[in-house]
Amino acid sequence: MKGKRPARSLEKDRSRWGWAFVAPGILFFSLFSFYPILNAFYTSFLNKKLLSLKAPKFVGIDNYLRVLGSQDFWNSVKATALFAAGAFVPLFALSLLFAILVVSRKRFKRSLQMALYSPAVLSSAVAALIWLLIFDPRGLANQFANFVMGTPGIDHKWLADATMARVSTILVYVWKYVGYFTILFVTGIGKIPQSVNEAAVIDGAGPVQRFFRITLPLLKPTTVLVSVMILIQCLKTFSTQYLFTQRGAPLGPINVVTLNIYNTALRDQNLGRASVMSVLLFLFMLLLSWAQLRYSRSDEADL
Amino acid sequence: MSAATAKRAPVKAGAVAASALAWTLLAAGSLLVMVPLAFMLGASLMPPAEIMKMPYDWIPKVPKWANYLQALAGNDGNWMYLRNILNSLIVSVTIATTTVILSSLVGYGLAKFEFRGKNAVFMGIMATMMIPFETVMIPLYLIIVRLRMQDSYLGLIAPFLMNAFGVFLMRQYLLTFPNEILDAARIDGCSEPRIFRSIVFANSGPAAATLAILAFRQQWDNLLWPLLVAQREEMKTIPAYIVKFAAEKSADEGAMMAVAAIASIPVFALFFTLSKYFLGGSAVYSAGKE
Repeated sequence: MKGKRPARSLEKDRSRWGWAFVAPGILFFSLFSFYPILNAFYTSFLNKKLLSLKAPKFVGIDNYLRVLGSQDFWNSVKATALFAAGAFVPLFALSLLFAILVVSRKRFKRSLQMALYSPAVLSSAVAALIWLLIFDPRGLANQFANFVMGTPGIDHKWLADATMARVSTILVYVWKYVGYFTILFVTGIGKIPQSVNEAAVIDGAGPVQRFFRITLPLLKPTTVLVSVMILIQCLKTFSTQYLFTQRGAPLGPINVVTLNIYNTALRDQNLGRASVMSVLLFLFMLLLSWAQLRYSRSDEADL
Repeated sequence: MSAATAKRAPVKAGAVAASALAWTLLAAGSLLVMVPLAFMLGASLMPPAEIMKMPYDWIPKVPKWANYLQALAGNDGNWMYLRNILNSLIVSVTIATTTVILSSLVGYGLAKFEFRGKNAVFMGIMATMMIPFETVMIPLYLIIVRLRMQDSYLGLIAPFLMNAFGVFLMRQYLLTFPNEILDAARIDGCSEPRIFRSIVFANSGPAAATLAILAFRQQWDNLLWPLLVAQREEMKTIPAYIVKFAAEKSADEGAMMAVAAIASIPVFALFFTLSKYFLGGSAVYSAGKE
């Protein structure tokens, strides 16, 4: 505080105004964040049906045992893990590559970023809808794949085959988000002081050497952040899988956890078990965020 | 500037080749990324037979504008899409507005006032960023059911009135707001609400714009929540309509792409006019997660 210490009553008045300004926040987050998360934990111990008038019964860890012992849940874990792993590698590699290429250009930087970013502007439902037609047996995906591989007239069953359905959802995701993560990398690279790079040029370091010895180590906070963001995004994927299954794609291979939670709650009306999965998802994401905080002690928290 | 250093370096054949390779990769990447968008626009003007033709022609022979009419009229001709577009606009615009107002209120309180427990409030709000929506959607749905707000705008809007990231963004922005101006206004007898309204809020333009666009886009994209809360057709939003439209076996492929194109008009209009808030906003959003 600068200047003279304000009078006591004035200070008290100011502190009241402080409370008044944050009051809507306290009210909102209590009702729509803290109460629901506690409720999710609580419901995970109940035998509760959606819209049932019967009083829910407390069943202890019964729901957890049921979920952890069910094949359906582990299938969802597998579907989510395969999706996350399959999307992570190309997303990370491509967005880093594009970012480095964009940054090294002298012209059209902004246009390139906008072009790469454009799919991220679309709604996920729109993205899924476009790809639904591309993956049609008579659609572009087959034509393109057959052209590239020189196999005319073959149907690759993009939406019908179990493995291909997984590949298809990953493709949609990589396409939609590659530009988004490119922008994050571009920003991260922009934060690296140019003087370091210039010194390396004077010392005779080549571009490849500079990338591995300077850019990559200094980019670590960004790489960790982007990695965790990609993983968390992938864990939350829902729209593509939901729309594809609505159009007849097999549920099993793309029954990701969020879709399972939705179906368990809405179709099976089993809120207890849906809550168990919600809680597990939350804990896993918490673990990821914690890992990120540990590995990237970033001192640039303020914008 | 890397551009300057590159200019000073002697031009070698290797550098030219590297530059050519970089341009090729970037051009190929950008083009590939845009292909599905071009497909959407082209196919939205084609009859189904042309969309599924092998080999595919990118340009429609005769633009079939009737697809757009059918997209709006729907498969059963009840023009529900129009209503659902209106719903999406109402919900997204309202949420963008309340998010900006409420986040700056709370952010201002946290940035410029001293009171006991302030840090706890701030940390508490920040902690909610860790809660994925998927985890709380069922309890939220039960709240909405208990409040009898299913199939209502209130129900669609309530859980998104503001968000922790918005509070964070506005707080960071307002921390740098000069105290002298606030104190001068107080000495002149200006009331605290009025200081907020006509001095603080009126001057939070760039941060507010970033936040408004972010909130608008998130809601425009929101599928899960309307799927839960809006059971009646009249209360659905665009993403929920798209799912329903696509699931109908009789859906015309051209009309489908017209539905998609119409749904993308507002976000692309924002993207082209305010692209700096899109690109910058993503960066700012990630900074909040650091």
